[in-house]
Amino acid sequence: MQQIIVQVQMLLVALSGLLPLVREEHRGRAGEILAFAGAVLKASGALAANASDLARKLTDVRAEVESMAESGRPVTAEEMEGAIARVRAASAAFRAALEIAEGAAP
Amino acid sequence: MPHPIRVFALALALAATPACAAFEAPRLENPVAAARSVDQRAYALLHAYGAIVEEARDVVADPESPLALKRALGQAERAATPAAETLQIAVVAYVRARSDFDAAAHADQSAIARAGAALTAATRHLGEALTAAERPVGELEALVQAARR
Repeated sequence: MQQIIVQVQMLLVALSGLLPLVREEHRGRAGEILAFAGAVLKASGALAANASDLARKLTDVRAEVESMAESGRPVTAEEMEGAIARVRAASAAFRAALEIAEGAAP
Repeated sequence: MPHPIRVFALALALAATPACAAFEAPRLENPVAAARSVDQRAYALLHAYGAIVEEARDVVADPESPLALKRALGQAERAATPAAETLQIAVVAYVRARSDFDAAAHADQSAIARAGAALTAATRHLGEALTAAERPVGELEALVQAARR
């Protein structure tokens, strides 16, 4: 996905280079369209990066749990504390980010 | 050609459609499904929830994300985190009960019976907390997945 987005971004850059060839009365509008397409691509690129990051994290957790399950090993108190600490930290960071986003909202 | 830019935009969209249709989002693993015991299920769910909230934070921190999406994530997180906190309490009680049971192995029969009953109750509570947490956590995960499509 990231590769496709980079290729389309390069295409947009190339098209921007052709803007002087567009008639002057349409040039501004064409530039706006290209800028909008660039912004959309940037947003979708960030979301796609998040997607692969979440997939990797969940795969890591699953691999760890599979290893525990195969060996029949119970989860230690320290491991549980680590999981709880992760949830607390993530939740606090999420709420702080949401507060900032709400504060920045028009 | 009266509207060359529109024609070009339509042509580009049509040309990109097959590539978009062929794109498949990475499949998300379910760590809970790999667990065989109640403590492993709790561990998997807590870590998975942590990872989901971390991703939700990234979506919320992104200035390009729509405000409505950020608010929906906030609502889902407010519903899921209390369930995760209840699960944390149940996990702590379970770990303590299991430790007490292990420590009672060389004690008398009544102490073993008491520790066994406490462990049974803690295991049941942990199972209930797990069941209660799975739905709101799943809803937040679905929203995070939808946000990145």
